[in-house]
Amino acid sequence: MKPEVILFGLDGATYTVMNDLIQHGVMPHLERFMREGVRAKMVSTVPPLTPPAWSTLVTGRSPGHHGILGFVQYADAQSMSVQLVNSRMLKAETIWSMVNRHGKRAGSLNFVGHQPAPKIDGWVIPGWVSWRWMKQLSHPPGIIEMLKSDLPGFDLKRLALDFDEEKKAIVGAVMDDYTSWIVPHIEREQQWFNVLCHMMEREPAELVGVVFDGVDKLQHLLWSSLDPALAKPESEEYVRIRGQVWEYFRSVDEILGETVRRWGDQATILICSDHGFTGSWEILYLNTWLEHNGFLTWKPNIANAPDGSTELDDFDLFLPFVPETTKAFVLNSSSNGIFIHVKGKRGDWGIQPEQYESFRKELTHALLTRCADPETGEPLIKRVHTREEIFDGPHMENAPDLTVTLRDHGFVSTRRTNTVYAKREIPMGTHHPDGILIARGRGIRRNRSIDRVSIMDVAPTALYAMHLPVPADLQGRVVKELYTPQYMAEHPIVWGSKAMLGPAPTLPPDAPEEDVEVLEKMKALGYLE
Amino acid sequence: MTREQIRNDLISLLKEAREDWDDSAAITDETGLFLDLGFESIDAVGLGSALEQHFGKVLPFPEFMSRAKEEDLSDITVGRLLDFLEVNLAPATGGKLAHEA
Repeated sequence: MKPEVILFGLDGATYTVMNDLIQHGVMPHLERFMREGVRAKMVSTVPPLTPPAWSTLVTGRSPGHHGILGFVQYADAQSMSVQLVNSRMLKAETIWSMVNRHGKRAGSLNFVGHQPAPKIDGWVIPGWVSWRWMKQLSHPPGIIEMLKSDLPGFDLKRLALDFDEEKKAIVGAVMDDYTSWIVPHIEREQQWFNVLCHMMEREPAELVGVVFDGVDKLQHLLWSSLDPALAKPESEEYVRIRGQVWEYFRSVDEILGETVRRWGDQATILICSDHGFTGSWEILYLNTWLEHNGFLTWKPNIANAPDGSTELDDFDLFLPFVPETTKAFVLNSSSNGIFIHVKGKRGDWGIQPEQYESFRKELTHALLTRCADPETGEPLIKRVHTREEIFDGPHMENAPDLTVTLRDHGFVSTRRTNTVYAKREIPMGTHHPDGILIARGRGIRRNRSIDRVSIMDVAPTALYAMHLPVPADLQGRVVKELYTPQYMAEHPIVWGSKAMLGPAPTLPPDAPEEDVEVLEKMKALGYLE
Repeated sequence: MTREQIRNDLISLLKEAREDWDDSAAITDETGLFLDLGFESIDAVGLGSALEQHFGKVLPFPEFMSRAKEEDLSDITVGRLLDFLEVNLAPATGGKLAHEA
């Protein structure tokens, strides 16, 4: 059995970098892949963040509907407990389960928010899990032991994320020689690919997905070596470091080439990223700004971080605010979300519920007008989103009340500092909404570029490529523009019954009957898209 | 489940997870997860998920960890974790934390 669809995930991949790498001959297989397929910018979630974005990609639903809102989030809308996202929080059906309902198997490697692994018909090794717990949290039981015994060179420690090393990417650690930091990423990607190849021989699946997340890590830390706008070809040091970074991308390109060689004759391959990337030049210490503007009170024992601190969070701190006098705070950096304390919601403190709307408007106005560059007076915050705008759905109550987009797309810092603003000496990579989708396969046009698509579109498009019914209630759409008109005419979209809601880790029931005719009629009448 | 059964399961789980670890310290009720077993914070996340997986029940593990942080404990012992499990695996506790029960 060969796979019908491969989701080839490149975490954080952006055309800004990929096009430049192609121009320099670093990624010849990607260049060929683009010529043989269709490419589009793919708009991520708001904010463009790894867990909600990948969860959207595999469910075809927005974060307010699937429930994964950030890296960490409150356990529920009333709780003060914060936890790293896991599969129990994912409340929408995944594409793995959708294909299972039609008798097809799935394999999922290194997707965040997939631990403990859902018990699908197929195999799951989740991402963002310490190697120590990979065995207990993968599916089916025994898969890690099997890989250890059967796959030469398999090394669990090299497969899993090293959290101490990854922290360097976010903090912006400066090193003389980046090779020792980059090589483990090359080895990790090769480990994941080896697992994919082995599993496809031993337990083949029709749908497989794998995420190579070193792309994100290297772009965070080494953006100044990757963004062509920052190139300094006259600098020996720049060229040396860029050469080290390129080795990583060469290895990813080799993996892509091998993927196409093994399975590209039959499978539709969707290269996709969860978000794009850009450069961040400044740091906004948003909790400190909230303090200076009377919205937040630090606990007396919270010490100031050093001026210009690039460490955006201090995870060792538990609730560093005085709850009785804090009206608004940022929980963690990457989500850029502000929570408003409302009396009776998570505790007996905060603003009165009837003050909520007026307070939120007041805070929004202050953020947009008073949070400014100290030198130029220009606003640091480009946009303030309400949760109704970006988290609409059954899980909105658990989302931040406001989410900010900074003018340079950076992550805010949650730390206590003397000043609210600092400039970075070296630009860091940060997430940008525009990711990538590059598709190649049967019926897909060649060498085309199409308009932006949404990350919600990947799941329905993958189902279509497998000739499976597309659940009618997915928020994404089948990207018809990928395909030739003739192929679309010969292979009309088949609409299926609603996706299953509820926690993911259950074995799917038998496929329900598809009321295709009714749904097609509803679609023709404009009730469905 | 009795406390003894839970203890056996918990120690088995920790031992199984430690098969690939670098040290082989004995695990008792006094063993600290972080100082003795070398846990990092991400391991605590994995442990929470593994406990839920093993016992087949959603546990208020984040609350347990948050409370430990709030109390500024230097470490979490196996015994304290056992207290938590004993209370939360009992059918009629309503999910209270061990020291609240």
